[in-house]
Amino acid sequence: MKILAYIADEGLSRLAAVLERALPADAELEVLPRSGLGRNGRKKVPKTFVYLDAEGLTPEKILELGSRLDDYGCSGWGVLDRSGTVEDPAGLFFAGAGDYVGPPLLKAPTARAAGANKRRSAFDADRVSRALAAAGIAGEEPAAARPPFPGWDKLEEGTGVAVRFCYAALANQRELLERIGETRLNKLREDFAAFLGPWAAECGGLVWIREGGGNLLLFPPTDEGINPVLAAFRLLLDRVLVGYEVFRLETPLSFRFAFHAGRTMWRKPGSTGDVVSEDVNFIFHLGSRASPDGTIVVTECAESLVPHCLRDLFSPSGDYEGRQLLASKRFRD
Amino acid sequence: MKVRGSLAQATKKNLNESLNADMLERIAKDIFPDYDLHVRTGFPPNIPLTGQVAAGRIVDDAVDEGRYLQLIERLARLDREGFMGRAYRINGLYDLIKAVETEGYIWDAETGHLMEDPRIRRTPNWGRLFEGEEFRFSLLRIDVVKNSRIVKVHGENLARDAFDDLRGILARVVERRSGRVWNWQGDGALAGFLFGHSTTASVLAGMALLHELFLYDRLHNRIGEPLRVRAAVHTGPLRYHEDPREILKQETVREVMEIESRWTPPGSLVISPAVAPTLDRVILDRFKSSSGDSSRYLAYEIRLGGT
Repeated sequence: MKILAYIADEGLSRLAAVLERALPADAELEVLPRSGLGRNGRKKVPKTFVYLDAEGLTPEKILELGSRLDDYGCSGWGVLDRSGTVEDPAGLFFAGAGDYVGPPLLKAPTARAAGANKRRSAFDADRVSRALAAAGIAGEEPAAARPPFPGWDKLEEGTGVAVRFCYAALANQRELLERIGETRLNKLREDFAAFLGPWAAECGGLVWIREGGGNLLLFPPTDEGINPVLAAFRLLLDRVLVGYEVFRLETPLSFRFAFHAGRTMWRKPGSTGDVVSEDVNFIFHLGSRASPDGTIVVTECAESLVPHCLRDLFSPSGDYEGRQLLASKRFRD
Repeated sequence: MKVRGSLAQATKKNLNESLNADMLERIAKDIFPDYDLHVRTGFPPNIPLTGQVAAGRIVDDAVDEGRYLQLIERLARLDREGFMGRAYRINGLYDLIKAVETEGYIWDAETGHLMEDPRIRRTPNWGRLFEGEEFRFSLLRIDVVKNSRIVKVHGENLARDAFDDLRGILARVVERRSGRVWNWQGDGALAGFLFGHSTTASVLAGMALLHELFLYDRLHNRIGEPLRVRAAVHTGPLRYHEDPREILKQETVREVMEIESRWTPPGSLVISPAVAPTLDRVILDRFKSSSGDSSRYLAYEIRLGGT
């Protein structure tokens, strides 16, 4: 069973953590920023129960969004009301809502609150299961699981594969060129590409194509290790340490990343000369032309890659070649 | 370090083949202050000593007095840099270092030190400091902000789990940079750094700690509020003692604790004026004046801007 939560950017990670703890064991949770509801083309959400964060919404807006979710074909929807802004929860049920979770059950799980929740009806797996049952999706066989990723060396060359792309490059390369000169910059690019190999491998990925100052990495369509956006975020956070301790640079270093999900013909690294793919072209364009230094840019197709604990650090950043983008906040020096 | 008899014999043989008695005594003086080879061997001062006798005595003394690692490091430096403009080659030096490595040490070519292999053991004295020895240490002090309130509000179990996580994070960032966490005292900790670029290592460990906590709060923190620390780095002379209480009494420790408690805002790392000049520009530039332009202290914190 699948649960989708549209949560306001403010406090997203905390509320997502509460939701995650309340899930039945066989449930799959996807958390998306509420600002993306209706924006990202997610028109169909069948066999999915959707929780909508009511924070900052008027009653009319809640009902409007609930109605939109019905249009999207969800099995049911509920409201998360962490601040008690909904004056008439019963009205929500009349309007078609399948669940309402009030402020006491959405507080941070302090020891005291945990004890209190045991005494009250808790926001836990039982409650969510009841909401799903009411929506007619509990007890169903889980959707056929996506076959596990076979591994890069088992992919057949020339066949099409669904992958997640990552463009990774050193930031401020023009400034680096002035500071350290062309020879050292070229060496730094080489070192960065070599560094990315084991870095990507920890996320189940590999460095696929190197072109100019950028590197195209591939990751499996499902997480096979560390989440690559989280790993990229950690690299931006640690940029000073990495520049100094790993690359031995006496000048500031940063990076830029772009993520996208799509399809491409599979060729092994080094044999990619005949790869023709719209998605490959797109990620190269996005990474080299439209990704600001020091940030992570994620297309709508790869939005689910952004871990919910970092979601509040990403915000809509316009569109590029017809695709909506999210961009991470930048660390200031 | 416990030195096997075969290793001591090999060392004597290689020294005898590589250096004469005068040079051996010079080397010994770098390791043992006021070392007198004739006094140690019992030969009258007017009797010249052979290289074999000198090498034997010096190696035995180094082994007996726990200075064998220092002897090998000094020989490696002599081999690399020479002495007074003259080059010296130490026979079998590579094999000696390899033999020491099999005893659980690793050779750090950059600093020229034999360090405990952290995969095998991590002792507070790096396996080589002696009681009461004085060195210039760099110290990293951290303190959990509002520790008591966390325990009161979230309960002992959740708070204990969070502090255990913090201990693990601190040990990781410190030991990765060859430092040692010496003391956990209630809600605070003290870590020491001695070898290599010790002040830089301690500052980088402090920065890494703030980064790790930033992610910890988002990924694993179960107390429902950020786990914040104040961190401070200071450098100065310190006598090593096995008893942490003896370490805590010393002036340099008191200074770093005062910097942490009085001058460090929550969620930041502050460095003292003694530390700042030792840092490379690329690190130092990440620090800003901690409380107004007149402050002697510089602070680092994670700052997020827009997209």
